[in-house]
Amino acid sequence: MTQDAAAPLLELRGVRAAYGSIEVLHGVDLVVPPASVVALLGPNGAGKTTTLSVACGLMSPTAGSVHVAGRDVTGVPPEVLAQKGLTTIPEGRGIFPNLTVRENLQMATLAGVGIKQVEEVAYGRFPRLAERRNQIAGTMSGGEQQMLALARGLAVDPAVLLLDELSMGLAPLVVEELYGIVAQIAKEGTSILVVEQFARTVLGVADIAAIMVHGQVRRVGDPTTVEQELSAAYLGG
Amino acid sequence: MSASFPTAAASPVAAAAPALRVRDLSVRFGGHLAVSSVDLDVPAGRISGLIGPNGAGKTTTFNAICGVITPTSGQVELGGDDVSKLSTHQRARRGIGRTFQRLEVFSSLSVRDNVRVGLEIRQSWSRRRAAAPQFLAGGAELSADDEVALIIDRLGLVEVAEVPVGSLPTGQARKVELGRALAARPSVLLLDEPASGLDEQESVEFGALLGTLAASGLAILLVEHDIALVMRVCSELSVLNFGQLIAHGTPEQVQSNAAVLDAYLGGGGNDATAVERAAVDAGVNVSDTSWSGPGAPS
Amino acid sequence: MDKFLTFTIAGLSSAAIYAIAASGLVVTYTTSGIFNFAHGAFGMMAAFTYWQVHVAWGVPTIPAVILVVFVIAPIFGAVIERVIMRGIEGASDVVKIVVTVSLMVALLGIAQVIWPQNVSRPVPPFFEGRFVELFGVRVPWARLMALVIALVVAGGLKLLFTRTRLGIAMRAVVDDRSLLQLNGGRPGRTAMLSWGLGAGLAAISGVLYSTEQTLSAITLTLLVVNTYAVAVVGRLRSLPGAFLGAVILGLAQSYVTGYINPGLTIGPIALGNLAAALPAIMLFIVLLVQPEERLRAHGVERPRNPIRVPSQTVAIVGGVALVVVLAALGSLMSASDLVLVTKGAGIALVTLSLVPLTGYAGQISLAQMTFVGIGAVAMAAWGASGSPLAVVLVVAVCAVVGAVVALPALRLSGIYLALATAAFALFCTAMFFNQQTIIRAGSVQVPPLSFGPLSINTDFRQLVLTAIVFALLGNGLVWLRRSAWGRRLTAMKDSPVACATLGLNLTSTKVGVFALSAAIAGAGGAMSGRTFTADSFSLPASLPVTMLAVVGGIGSIAGAFIGGMLLGAIPIASTIFAANAIGIFRFVSLPVTNVLSFTPGLMGISLGREPDGAAPQIAVGYRAVGDSPPALVVSAAGAVALWVATRVGVITKWSFFAALVVFVVAVVPLLPLILTPRLPEDQAEPPRRVACAIWLALATIAAVLIPWATAITSNGVRVLLVLVLAALSARVAIGVLGVTPEQLRRPLPPSPDLIGVDRPLSRADAIEATHMMGLTEDEFEAEVSRAGADVAAAPVGALR
Repeated sequence: MTQDAAAPLLELRGVRAAYGSIEVLHGVDLVVPPASVVALLGPNGAGKTTTLSVACGLMSPTAGSVHVAGRDVTGVPPEVLAQKGLTTIPEGRGIFPNLTVRENLQMATLAGVGIKQVEEVAYGRFPRLAERRNQIAGTMSGGEQQMLALARGLAVDPAVLLLDELSMGLAPLVVEELYGIVAQIAKEGTSILVVEQFARTVLGVADIAAIMVHGQVRRVGDPTTVEQELSAAYLGG
Repeated sequence: MSASFPTAAASPVAAAAPALRVRDLSVRFGGHLAVSSVDLDVPAGRISGLIGPNGAGKTTTFNAICGVITPTSGQVELGGDDVSKLSTHQRARRGIGRTFQRLEVFSSLSVRDNVRVGLEIRQSWSRRRAAAPQFLAGGAELSADDEVALIIDRLGLVEVAEVPVGSLPTGQARKVELGRALAARPSVLLLDEPASGLDEQESVEFGALLGTLAASGLAILLVEHDIALVMRVCSELSVLNFGQLIAHGTPEQVQSNAAVLDAYLGGGGNDATAVERAAVDAGVNVSDTSWSGPGAPS
Repeated sequence: MDKFLTFTIAGLSSAAIYAIAASGLVVTYTTSGIFNFAHGAFGMMAAFTYWQVHVAWGVPTIPAVILVVFVIAPIFGAVIERVIMRGIEGASDVVKIVVTVSLMVALLGIAQVIWPQNVSRPVPPFFEGRFVELFGVRVPWARLMALVIALVVAGGLKLLFTRTRLGIAMRAVVDDRSLLQLNGGRPGRTAMLSWGLGAGLAAISGVLYSTEQTLSAITLTLLVVNTYAVAVVGRLRSLPGAFLGAVILGLAQSYVTGYINPGLTIGPIALGNLAAALPAIMLFIVLLVQPEERLRAHGVERPRNPIRVPSQTVAIVGGVALVVVLAALGSLMSASDLVLVTKGAGIALVTLSLVPLTGYAGQISLAQMTFVGIGAVAMAAWGASGSPLAVVLVVAVCAVVGAVVALPALRLSGIYLALATAAFALFCTAMFFNQQTIIRAGSVQVPPLSFGPLSINTDFRQLVLTAIVFALLGNGLVWLRRSAWGRRLTAMKDSPVACATLGLNLTSTKVGVFALSAAIAGAGGAMSGRTFTADSFSLPASLPVTMLAVVGGIGSIAGAFIGGMLLGAIPIASTIFAANAIGIFRFVSLPVTNVLSFTPGLMGISLGREPDGAAPQIAVGYRAVGDSPPALVVSAAGAVALWVATRVGVITKWSFFAALVVFVVAVVPLLPLILTPRLPEDQAEPPRRVACAIWLALATIAAVLIPWATAITSNGVRVLLVLVLAALSARVAIGVLGVTPEQLRRPLPPSPDLIGVDRPLSRADAIEATHMMGLTEDEFEAEVSRAGADVAAAPVGALR
């Protein structure tokens, strides 16, 4: 990581990706500068989650490249990226539902952090998780599950954090609470790429907003200006 | 109402008691309340819409209504009878038909055979020769082959009738699912995103077809992301968010409902303080985090 | 009281072994999603390896145990995971079951080759002669040791799965494989470790058994099969449940042995074998109390290769051809060969019984030979005169038994049906086929059928009868597949949940098809007219039938025939190759018959790579022949000419065999190319076609003229040379012609993955594509209209 400070932490260059022979990403260019929050927005099926899958290594692009801190990491398996400081909280609940809270946190240590540190950060930030440390994660409320998922992102102190649909199926107040925490993580210097359908909430924390349509990033800019165009995109009004 | 509910018999006006009535339906997955205390009335002869953002619990509601999953609590009544204790196939025999959000076609069978299986399964449990539904040949008696052929014709699938459904594009496969459900002659039809994969023209035609079906007495509950279609064909809408009903009314009423807009764009509208605080914490300068409609000053 | 204590302690100590074995089963199932039917075979291999290391090579007990349990077995398990199991991740239940069952059969065969059964291999018990007094009962140390080991295993697994990161990762991989990767874990490594662990646990149970039983590959393998019942108590996923099940089974078996007088009978059934049947009984009871499985709607996968349903005409022609060909071949055979071929055709009837069940409905049975046995025994009892009416009665009985057996399991998923049928096979062997009152002296003679004055009392008549029955049943199945019920079965295989929401009662439909399958298998037994040993109705006899039926290609009648013939071919090949051995540089000399004994297992394992079986692939090669009348005529004429020449004694039988192989392998597939080239652009020039025809004629004549019978003495070398000649002829012919038969293949319906590649894009495709991309119509239109003007002003994708 001896690149100059201006080098983006995560960069996708001309990424194309396909399921079978149906291409869903047609050349995605996306840059996450250091210590910034980038919101990736767009209608259903625009390719946001696929973009994230490529970025975290779960999916290999058919063309283009992925760079982390200036290094080409295209084709590097996801577990290696995870150990190098690229943490992903996937869509839905990024937790193991049949493991207890504590066991979930123990899985976070696979990225190379000690369990002590993980528990300290997780329980410190979310005291409710400490109360439930021996509860099976799948039996907690949706908000608590998402907190657990986010706790992992916090605890391993990543260089880049990828968040997919943090808000899905959660009550608005919980979503706000979670994004408050995302904002704090960002403040501590982590670069974050957030995928969201709930446009307005995330625009509050984002430095940069990118709109994705038709498997391409169509628009990148200041969140407030982008917001205007979004409402039009969603309800077609 | 009788089990196989000859759809031709019911007139749209005689829908005093809803064909499908759902009361206090809740579904819990682990600690996650996917559907919370939902009430729905689906009258015969009309199209009712069920809309809401991704993950709001629409498909889960469908699954609970037709018995594919067991709800945590709640009642499902069909034509006044409580069917909550019945298994999926028993409910189907009482008149619930459905399509699926993720296609559940018989992909190794041809389009014709898909529809035919729907009809043959009905014949396997219903010996009674009910008249064909009104929308087919005006309710005249039909042979099985003719009924299948007519359904295929109505859905515009004639050209692909002998093609295995597994090799059709999604839009056409969805129509096959609908045709198959119709061949079982349901009284209540649950449609889960039936129009995705159709172009604008087809979507208009599809809306007209749904109208015809409803006019012949069918009770239709429609989940659909194509808002234009929903607004056009539904006589009433229920809006689901986080598993709860947040609005109910005519399309016009729902369209102007602030809670609904919030549900679609994110929950900043009613309580923005936390977001604002977060934004300030993050050093982001956001003047207004609450939503303003297109054209409104920001 | 002493007696009770004695049997309690004995029961607990066998419960301990069950618990250890079952926990291995549960560990692999929960962490890899594959139920390892070969778990018992793992334990068996470990027991033999322990004997080899400890007794044969004289390594002391403790190092030997450590070597087997902690080194060899885990490495073996991990290698199996890496090489075989990783390939079938995400395959259908049927494929997963058949692959592990095949592994079991292969290991059984390999064990019998390495450690031939004719030598007795005693393994000295642990702590021989040392006892401890417990409540006034003398308990051998070895028994206590088993208990202690079980407790240590229980505690160790609990610690592993709750306290260590590795163990938690093994559980996590089941929950969400890719999330584990995103956490930084390696699912592949975790799976290998869990298979290693499972194999280690199997090894412990195997080594413990080896000191109590005489070392027999089949007995040891089947003992661990008992633990299926134990594992089912915990729904195959819960370790405490498995331990509870082990205690119940261990005690129940011990008390039955202690308190039930073996001479006691219920009707004709002596209860002496009740202890052996208990696991099966327990499995059924547990299945009965399980709640019905939930339906799942998760979207339908598109089929790889939809199997074409043949028309009834094709089926009739095929049936007639089968009867004629088998009769023609049979008329040339020596008496001993005829017996083998007739048996092979009989087995084809049994594989045929799996076509509706596995091929159409996607269910599986591991007890088809049991139904054959029921059919055979019932026919021997009720149809001594060979009356066809008795067959009808017997078939009806088999159908009812099948329905009753399948009912409890069919409410659950595919794996439970496999377990229930395996248990049923074990139950019948213990309580029915091994009863002196039912099968006297270990074998049953099925009376030959007689139709009025015509008695099927020769092998040749039996062969023709079997061929006719196969052809009739095959036609019946084709008719069924094309009927409403057949469509419903296919529909149910494609999407059970859609069928349920249309009003189909899934359970009764599945019971119906299982009853049909049992009835066909029963008919196979009732009409066999041969002598069966009780062994041939056992579980180990049923497994290869199911395996090879799937290998042959269970979706089609032809596949069932290929499967049956593959299985029938093994004893035939054993006879032919009796004197041959495969030598590898003189180091190892493996008799070919031994290799054949584990070949079926290996064929089954290969299924992981080709789940549709062999029939569809073979069909591709010969389909063009069916479409070309001149080719059909020449094929038939050639075969008939060879047959006549042999029949009248112009050529020897070995020449006939050689010429026929060359003709079928090299000549027939190329005939359509030579006689009726259809595709102008692929068509070879006329001179090439003439040259090719001349070459093929020469090759066939050469096959006839070579003095096989006198010039070569070894059967093995003969067969090998014939095959080489056939392959060479085909290769050269293709070279001369310059075109391969594949190029004549009919175009398949376009695959959705190839849209735009093999057919032009339609408007519907374009619309679907835009929808998949999430573009609404409005945006789509807007984009299109703007596209021209806006290209230059298109937003830049990234901030730089």
